[in-house]
Amino acid sequence: MIPEAGHYALVLALALALFQSVVPMAGARWRDATLMQTAPVTALAQFVFVALSFAALTASYVTSDFSVVNVYENSHSLMPLIYKMTSVWGNHEGSMLLWVLILALFGAAVAVFGRNLPDVLRADVLAVQSWIAVAFYLFILLTSNPFLRIADPPFEGRDLNPILQDFGLAVHPPLLYLGYVGFSIAFSFAVAALIEGRIDAAWARWVRPWTLAAWMALTLGIAMGSYWAYYELGWGGWWFWDPVENASLMPWLAGTALLHSAVVMEKRDALKVWTVLLAILAFSLSLIGTFLVRSGVLTSVHTFASDPSRGVFILAILTLFIGGSLTLFAWRAPALRQGGIFAPISREGALVFNNLFLTTACATVFVGTLYPLALEALTGEKISVGPPFFNLTFAPLFIPILIAMPMGPLLAWKRGDLFAVAQRLLAACGIAVIGVAVTFALAGVKAVLAPFGIGLALFAMAGAVTDIVERSALRSVGVGIAARRAIGLPRSAWGTAFAHFGIGMTLLGVVCETTWNSERIVALRPGQAVSIAGYDLTFDGMVPKTGPNYREVATRFVVRRGGAQVAVLEPSKRTFATRSMTTTEAALMTHGASQLYVSLGDTNSDGSIAVRIYDKPLVLLIWLGAVVMVFGGLLSLSDRRLRVGAPRRRSKPAVLAQQPAE
Amino acid sequence: MTRKQRRLVMIGCGLAVLALAVGLVLNAMRDSIVFFNSPTDVVEKHIQTGTRIRLGGMVKDGSLVRGDNLQIRFVVTDGANDIPVNYQGIVPDLFREGQGVVAEGRIEPGRTFKADSILAKHDENYMPREVADALKKQGRWQENEGKGERVGEKAGAPANAEPRK
Amino acid sequence: MTLWFVFALMTAAAVFALLWPLGRRRAPAAAGHDVAVYRDQLAEIDRDATSGLISVSDADTARIEISRRLLRAADRESEAAPLVGSTLRRRVAALAALVLLPAVAVALYVTLGSPDLPAAPLAGRAQAPSASQSVASLVSQVEAHIERNPDDGRGWEVLAPVYLRLGRYDDAVKARARALALNGETADRQADLGEAKVAAANGIVTAEARQAFDRALALDPQLLKAKFYLGLAAEQDGKREEAASIWRAMLANAPADAPWIESVREALARIGAPAVAPEQKTGAAPAVSSAQPGPSADDMAAAATLTPQQRQEMVSGMVSRLADRLKTDGSDVEGWLRLMRAYVVLGERDRAIAATVDARRALAGDVDKLRRVDELAKGLGIDG
Repeated sequence: MIPEAGHYALVLALALALFQSVVPMAGARWRDATLMQTAPVTALAQFVFVALSFAALTASYVTSDFSVVNVYENSHSLMPLIYKMTSVWGNHEGSMLLWVLILALFGAAVAVFGRNLPDVLRADVLAVQSWIAVAFYLFILLTSNPFLRIADPPFEGRDLNPILQDFGLAVHPPLLYLGYVGFSIAFSFAVAALIEGRIDAAWARWVRPWTLAAWMALTLGIAMGSYWAYYELGWGGWWFWDPVENASLMPWLAGTALLHSAVVMEKRDALKVWTVLLAILAFSLSLIGTFLVRSGVLTSVHTFASDPSRGVFILAILTLFIGGSLTLFAWRAPALRQGGIFAPISREGALVFNNLFLTTACATVFVGTLYPLALEALTGEKISVGPPFFNLTFAPLFIPILIAMPMGPLLAWKRGDLFAVAQRLLAACGIAVIGVAVTFALAGVKAVLAPFGIGLALFAMAGAVTDIVERSALRSVGVGIAARRAIGLPRSAWGTAFAHFGIGMTLLGVVCETTWNSERIVALRPGQAVSIAGYDLTFDGMVPKTGPNYREVATRFVVRRGGAQVAVLEPSKRTFATRSMTTTEAALMTHGASQLYVSLGDTNSDGSIAVRIYDKPLVLLIWLGAVVMVFGGLLSLSDRRLRVGAPRRRSKPAVLAQQPAE
Repeated sequence: MTRKQRRLVMIGCGLAVLALAVGLVLNAMRDSIVFFNSPTDVVEKHIQTGTRIRLGGMVKDGSLVRGDNLQIRFVVTDGANDIPVNYQGIVPDLFREGQGVVAEGRIEPGRTFKADSILAKHDENYMPREVADALKKQGRWQENEGKGERVGEKAGAPANAEPRK
Repeated sequence: MTLWFVFALMTAAAVFALLWPLGRRRAPAAAGHDVAVYRDQLAEIDRDATSGLISVSDADTARIEISRRLLRAADRESEAAPLVGSTLRRRVAALAALVLLPAVAVALYVTLGSPDLPAAPLAGRAQAPSASQSVASLVSQVEAHIERNPDDGRGWEVLAPVYLRLGRYDDAVKARARALALNGETADRQADLGEAKVAAANGIVTAEARQAFDRALALDPQLLKAKFYLGLAAEQDGKREEAASIWRAMLANAPADAPWIESVREALARIGAPAVAPEQKTGAAPAVSSAQPGPSADDMAAAATLTPQQRQEMVSGMVSRLADRLKTDGSDVEGWLRLMRAYVVLGERDRAIAATVDARRALAGDVDKLRRVDELAKGLGIDG
């Protein structure tokens, strides 16, 4: 009964979404309060039913109900409970269900937190959200239904792809989807504004926190995925410029741009049209990210051909939402009132600069990701666009952003003084120059780009510190007062500083890892030793072990530094019988922000085993930087002024009471 | 500055950045694109030695020889033509005889291939797309994946989980 | 019944969620949100100015700008239309909620769902009387044993039928081949190997499988399994007469209670040949059905044969994939031949004929391939 109840709940959610996509929108056009107020309740009900549906699928996984095709194909009765639960979204159908669950969650959030939104805006937004929901429910039910059944259930499932049997899967896709789907809020607000032909002040206040929340989840999701690939795939690489990764990076770039332009819109009432466009783009790229990756279209034209119904559906959804919203934009955007004006050298100007480069960088990633696909469709020629392409296009476009980043927050709104800002940043420049010089002295000329990368990273980090120092006026007042002032600074200022500092950290990690990463690939017999970066690793031998649904060969490496034992590493190879697959479990030793990485290759006939050993200096900074960025986002999100939105009626009755007097 | 002038300046900047990006893209396209070839392509197109390509096909049964120092030799075949490949290093978990493989590297004199990276995806049913096409062209491969499966497509990895390399 | 009750409950909840706000009368909400937001911004500037975060002159400029926006917003809102509710519209919406919502939900569910299938959590099924252990753990035990003793032919023999039942056909082929190599060649082992190969090839008797069956028959001319599959091979090659005569011969010599009689009869019926068979009716269901409890180590061996339904399913899945592929790439003559055969096997003559036409079109210009298509079409009796 449970799977069928889940199925029915999903169908009901679709029916509710259909209602919600028509009635509130009609109500908004007729200015009919009753019709409009159906939207929040429907959104909540929709969430309840999707949650039920998701819970039913999860229950089927947990109880290994192989009469559900989806469970049979992606689960195994012996899998640990946590993986049974995570395999719900470890496959196409289940992950789409997670997608709509998150979409419904955001819809419910708008319903709950949006009490102070203007009625018309809220009804429009929820209706637009529901359009997206309808498309996705239909897609799931008609082409990717996770609740299909087998009349004669097999006794064992086909197991989850072993590579996904990892804690990373538990958190990575949900975070990524929170990010992707979070942009749907900005999208719905944008479309609502276009339909209504005006942008409310409340709009501006809403878009930033929601975009920020989505951006944080996406940042964390991307970082998590990168770390997961790093330790699970056994290659020690953390970013491959793979289409799948690019698909998540593009919405991130657009989302970051959106975040910054939303600041301008909120504070200065300017850049409205541009913000609307970015909101549309960010969500469109999220859709492309979800769909093209999920459906396999991006990696293989043939998946598309072999399953035309799914492919055509996807194309229809993409055309409808991306094409539709852009058409609406072209038609209605001129109606939106232009906002405040500003000089090119100003905080706004800096944010425009940031936007310009972020979107251009995003465009190059887009080209690099889709060009092979287009070329193959047109000429049949097969090419691969690899890391060199992105290094040559994306990196140069990101450098100006990094240089301008510390300046932005120091510039005044409306009209800024670049010279004064440069003066304030002298200390940061000094630190950067010292960094360049020291690196040159240490590394010599063999890595020419590294010193500049490090200089840039230090400049970004020092610049973020400078921002706080300047705001607390440390130089003119005493330390005590400055500290009090720093604490009293708006949290969003701290958030900016942290986020910008995090970017610097990530860059530092990237540069150090790529420049000074050392690698040894050797075949070792028990008792043999190898040294790398001052560490001596002795191969102790291997032990066969049995896991719940796999067998593994675990090895033991004793790590010594200067003769003293510092750690024991146990990398292993796991064999999963059901899918006859092998996975490599790397072993990591963290020292400071650096890591020693050991992973296994094949066993040779002479009893030796191939081993890959890397020393990766400061590699952890790459992900720690992302965590710091997210922390900055969290600070900014917790800023009281963001929460104010439009003041709540209950807490501030005085404001409303005065209103008729206006 | 009037609003109009300001807008012109902004559009100008935008176009300049765009031009820069186009330049970068075109420049990168010239140097860093790698073409995919099957053994037959290599033979027929007379690809010059030293050109960087991706070579895809099946690892010929019985051709895999492991030497000292993690040296590996094997033959990539698409049924019609064979190309011997040299590689030093650790091969992916799923590298096996009779399995599809994509190797990236350069053609050397004598029509051998020196690979500097071997790509294989982590799925027992996975056949690299290019390899599948190339083999199909030679009529050597039939889609027989997904035995007895009731719904269409094989469930893949989640977003961003698609293993690489 | 419970299920439909639960559905009714859920539907009622959903309908209520729609009717509730429609039934609630509310005074038109006060407009003026923009005004409120700007007011708040003014207050914020005052706060910032008092705490010294911005200079007095900055605060003044900002105040002026926001005040300007505030005035404009106030102007706009004074002319905004009041929010009204109309009874008619409310009734229409309520009607839609009452009628359309359940109609859409039920209609869609009835098309997509399988309300008659109960849930089948593994825990409940493993309790079946004859099996004290779950199949999974049994399999993994045997697998672990085999891992340690890869030369234990008996272990492979136990494992093979289980693999087959679990749908791990390639493993089944491997296990059968190992058992054959280790335990010595017998007719049964050859036939079992052939059967596994057929399963691995999506129900098609490949040349390899056929070899195994031929070998089995050479060892034991009476071996029924081998005969049955050779009949199937003949059918798939379009030689229906040959298939029918093989199967009829099997029925003629069958003991009255042989469990396979039904399968053979079905096969004969499928190709439209009358079964010249004994009169006795045997009620035994063919091979394994879902009603049986989980197999113990003993009846795993009996599970070796797939049920006709399973085979049918396998074949039709394979066929649709093949057809799709050929639609995009029509140059594969073997594929076309297989597709034609497969449609005939499935009893879809019209589609087989259509496939023949498509094949001729796709292969036009290649005399050699066309000839093969024509030959097969003639053999299958679909050359229209």
